[in-house]
Amino acid sequence: MAESNEPQAKATASVSSSGNPTSSLSRVSKCPETLEEGKRSFSDDAGFARVQPMIEDWHQPWLNGVELLEDSNHNKHFLPTGYEGIDVLLGGGLCEGQLTEMVGPSSSGKTQVCLYSAALVADKHFGVVMFVDTCNSFSPKRIACIVDQLSSSFSGEAKERRLKRVMSNIFCHSVFDIFALLDVLHQLEFKLKQQVKSGDTKICLLIIDSISSLLTPVLGGKGSEGRLLMVSAGIILKKLANEYNISVLVTNHMVGGEGGILKPALGESWKSIPHVRLQLTRDQGSNICNVSILKHTFMATGRTAKFVIHSRSCSVQDGRGR
Amino acid sequence: MEENPRGWIHGDETAKAMLSRILTERPFLFLPPLHRVPLRVGNVVEIAGPSPSAKSQILLHAAVNCILPEEWKGIRFGGLGRMVMYFDLDCRFDVLRLSQILKHRIMEAYRSTNNTYWKEKGEHQKNDAPTTHMYLCDDELFLDCMRRFLYIRCYNSFEFLAALKAMHSHSQRESEALGVSVHFLMIDSIGAFYWMDRACQPMPIGGSKRKNVSLQSLAEAVVQEICKLLQMQPVLVLATKATIFGAGTSGNDAQRLAHDVNLPILRSTSSTRAFGKWCSEGKMDSRTSSREGEKLMYREYMPSSWQSFVTHRVHLQALDEIISGGEYGTLLTYASQWVQPPLNIKDKFAIRDDGIFLIT
Repeated sequence: MAESNEPQAKATASVSSSGNPTSSLSRVSKCPETLEEGKRSFSDDAGFARVQPMIEDWHQPWLNGVELLEDSNHNKHFLPTGYEGIDVLLGGGLCEGQLTEMVGPSSSGKTQVCLYSAALVADKHFGVVMFVDTCNSFSPKRIACIVDQLSSSFSGEAKERRLKRVMSNIFCHSVFDIFALLDVLHQLEFKLKQQVKSGDTKICLLIIDSISSLLTPVLGGKGSEGRLLMVSAGIILKKLANEYNISVLVTNHMVGGEGGILKPALGESWKSIPHVRLQLTRDQGSNICNVSILKHTFMATGRTAKFVIHSRSCSVQDGRGR
Repeated sequence: MEENPRGWIHGDETAKAMLSRILTERPFLFLPPLHRVPLRVGNVVEIAGPSPSAKSQILLHAAVNCILPEEWKGIRFGGLGRMVMYFDLDCRFDVLRLSQILKHRIMEAYRSTNNTYWKEKGEHQKNDAPTTHMYLCDDELFLDCMRRFLYIRCYNSFEFLAALKAMHSHSQRESEALGVSVHFLMIDSIGAFYWMDRACQPMPIGGSKRKNVSLQSLAEAVVQEICKLLQMQPVLVLATKATIFGAGTSGNDAQRLAHDVNLPILRSTSSTRAFGKWCSEGKMDSRTSSREGEKLMYREYMPSSWQSFVTHRVHLQALDEIISGGEYGTLLTYASQWVQPPLNIKDKFAIRDDGIFLIT
């Protein structure tokens, strides 16, 4: 392909060198000039060769399809949420390296899914769970209750030990504004960078319940700052997910759209941030939830499943939580 | 010296040489909605639409088409057998989707050849060796194709610029190693850092001599880098653009678009006309947009340097209709419309794992 351009370039170059140099130069269009310039800067110039390794430091590494597939097979696993309906629908659960968004009206089961997956992931030795709590939704009692359900066959002491292990694997951060969230995320990134060298137990699930309650107050208005903060948070979440093989789960609420039909909050710019969007709905008074795929990287949109949220009918003594 | 340019102008070319030249520069790509206009290397195509409107899917299908070989061990795959460079600015690329599409395409090609093979040899040989043979060579071909897919992820405009700077030397290295050249440069999606770049405050450091970092200057730099690459290594640029303001319904936009559409196609060459005639004969009338309702239009937000860099532009939209796709279950449908060059046709298409299909 490059050869086909060669004669043209040479022809124009020879024209400009013969005859009156100044007048022909001004007549020559800009293209050959930049071509010559580009050639010099890419191959002939020793200077570029020297800065090239520096430039390579500034961008992420190039990967080919085979390397990408290897990374995906070795490092990006599925984390089960514990709800069979969701896990089957997603082909195994929440994918590491991806940002999953759950959207649904109030009391549609979003927080329950968050708490259940946190308990299950912390229990099954997948790694540490980080729970960013923006609306005081984190309930250690509920976690204890879930662990209790999971270990119904265990004796009292084994149960106690299991609960302790689960609880020590869940870290909860209370965050009440977007700046604090960005701060927590940057610190986490810094910590993970150090951890890769030291090789500690890794964090594998990051939950933000709910991200929309941090973002809605800064959105709106004429300024673009709100959307800047939103997109920045989205990009750092995706970066953390991908570089450190973390599965990120965030929740979002619904608002009334055109004609009173509920639609996910946060608008158009947010739509291009999550990898996977799930919509939860629950009929009034029933504990059966519906989940449908709004967007997925490789699954068809519109697939649905059902799952049951168990009620709190288990006996847990107070003070057992964190 | 005198003879040289003349010889170059009058240079004869056999039909075969011309055809092979044209086919490398302008390979035929049946991939709705990209089949409507003749695309060649050096073009910059922008695929705009809200999320989801199958923008990334079109890129992935085009990529698979490009990395598949024309023919492999006697089986026709109909690909280009060349490399793809994929810039992931949205950071949402899933390699599993790419491998899924690629595997479907490979299996589909095997299935169709085996069918004809069986037809020739008769039914009794159906349970013979070909199936086992097929799985053996499958993997080798698959990995060969995946190696032709070059990927880079960018988390901000500066990483993007650095990657663009390093792109040529990297693609040359890969070209030498694999023996094929790059055909596609894909960007998904070009407006990913819009809000971040827009917030860039002009920095007083370094005095007035230093170029300020702004949305405009970053877009200019991106365009300049791609321009440089296009001159050294002709590729076809495909960029997606998410519409971040929703469907533009403001009077301004409608007016501007109507104006655009009414403009005569100045750049229409004889080949454009011939192609248009050839591929849409008879269908043109039945699917004009006037009958389909309003045009697809979105508010433009990219700086003018990018806008003028784009040579072709197509708008997409998800439709509410769902059709049944046989073994693939139900399929969502999408509509596409070319804005540049302005074609008065609205195509409907659906996406399956093994390709994109027009719905008539």
